[in-house]
Amino acid sequence: MAASPPIPATASLPGGGRAETKRAPSARVSDHLFAVIPTAWLAIFFLAPLGFTVVYSFGNSLFGAVELGFTLKNYQTALSGFYLSTFLRTVQFAITASALCLAVAFPVAYFIARKAGRFRTLALVLILIPYFSSFLIRVMSWQILLARGGVFEVILNFLHLHDGPLDLLDTKTAVFIGMVYAYLPIAIVPLFVVLDRIPGPLLEASRDLGASRLQTFWAVTLPMARPGIATAVLLTAVPMLGEMVIPKLLGGSRGVLMGQAISSQYLQSQNYALGSAMAVLVLVSVAIVVAALARLTKGFAEVSA
Amino acid sequence: MSALRMDGRQKRITDAGLTLWFALAILFLFAPLAISMVYSFNLGVVGKQTSNFTGWTLEWYPAAWNDLALRRSVQTSLYVAFWAALIALGMGASLGYALVRHPSPRVRNWLSGLTYILLIVPEVVIGVSLLLFYAVTGIPLGAATLIAGITPAAIAVTALIVRARALTLDPKLEEAAADLGSTRLKTLWFIVLPQLLPAILAGGLMSYAFCFDNLVVAAFLTTPTVNTLPVYLYGSLQYGPAPSVYAAATVVFLFTVTLLGLAALCFQLSRNSGRAGFGDG
Repeated sequence: MAASPPIPATASLPGGGRAETKRAPSARVSDHLFAVIPTAWLAIFFLAPLGFTVVYSFGNSLFGAVELGFTLKNYQTALSGFYLSTFLRTVQFAITASALCLAVAFPVAYFIARKAGRFRTLALVLILIPYFSSFLIRVMSWQILLARGGVFEVILNFLHLHDGPLDLLDTKTAVFIGMVYAYLPIAIVPLFVVLDRIPGPLLEASRDLGASRLQTFWAVTLPMARPGIATAVLLTAVPMLGEMVIPKLLGGSRGVLMGQAISSQYLQSQNYALGSAMAVLVLVSVAIVVAALARLTKGFAEVSA
Repeated sequence: MSALRMDGRQKRITDAGLTLWFALAILFLFAPLAISMVYSFNLGVVGKQTSNFTGWTLEWYPAAWNDLALRRSVQTSLYVAFWAALIALGMGASLGYALVRHPSPRVRNWLSGLTYILLIVPEVVIGVSLLLFYAVTGIPLGAATLIAGITPAAIAVTALIVRARALTLDPKLEEAAADLGSTRLKTLWFIVLPQLLPAILAGGLMSYAFCFDNLVVAAFLTTPTVNTLPVYLYGSLQYGPAPSVYAAATVVFLFTVTLLGLAALCFQLSRNSGRAGFGDG
């Protein structure tokens, strides 16, 4: 029965006079609801669970249970011996695979943004389509492709890049191929977005002022692409730190990475405290990545695609 | 003169190189997809998938349909993805709008930080955290716990899509509605929602595709009765998967692509009806 129209006092003012104090009270209630409802949901099903993990990482581990307390024992274990080497290997894998992914993605994004012309939408769709088929089936298909006598071997032999049988499966190389493959589309999209936004006249100006193609690329294109590069690194390196399927399917039993190590603490060893500490270590490395990227994009408004 | 010709040649070589690189990337991206489809027709050896193609057959499609466990896992995935996408659609739309229109810049910043955190916490960490959370609070695992657990990333994706659209909305339109006597609720329903709807639906469909394919979180929250398709596939790896799982995956992929085609159509309609295009502004 709120029939009386709440005409604000600012009604006669032009657009600029939208002082929030003058708004009808119902506006503020709905504005807050929009923020509060999703936040509450995420607090329960996202932030609280992460909080439990942090708390448990400081607890004493009993088999299948954790006695709450404050000890750094789990971190000591997680940062020594086998677990430390797994952690370091994972970081190294994530950095290398992310860099490889970027190197493959950049020319593709550049092509779509600058050369594809009216086919750019089609090109983007093509890049994204495989992303929507089952991830697991695609990784399983890489097993078929990379197997001895598989398509990959036949192609390499045909091109005379390799002779004889190829034993790629269950190697580091296979894991890198799988990682670059899986994260390529999400590296291309943010790079495309920034490259697309660099105004053409800017590049022409650089050329008119005597810079060569390469100089223009180094001095204009690349610096302006920084936010996209940062987003691409963020969206590839971070999930790679927790990747557990690709190393397992393509890397075999050798070279376990952090994702598998954490999951086995939960599902097999039942050492929740140690698993939690390892998960927190992954979160800390994610935070370091984010902080480093924030420095890289200093001066740009935000790190987003 | 010769410098100019050199430059033209350089440009042609660069362009040819870029085109070739793009073609190779497309080949690289589509090879496993094509292989998975071709191998859904592979005869295999004693009902198992093999890396050597042993002969063509159509038997795996009916076999996939008749495999009760496989069929149930597809049904579970459809059910879980549907409800998760619906929640992500509502929550994501609400969050996306708040990201743009909440009166306090501090709250907006805070919400934006939360949205990005949702996207950057590795899935395995979320998976173990949820498992721990449900175990400690004594909530029994089931379809509902799985649905709730896979929503956060989908909410973030939907929120970012809705935010991009909300940025292009003209706030004066909402003010005009208020000035003309519309209540806030009516303004939201008649002015804001219709403009955001295509983005909301696109976000919902994206969420659906993501949730359907979620493996890592689902692997931790699975129970004998709640077994999604990716988890089923993952489990089947131990014994060597049958080509019928490739057949099932092929059918599901074609279904997803059809849905995405619809989403693209929604988006196209929104672009044509709105003044401003979809963009991050």
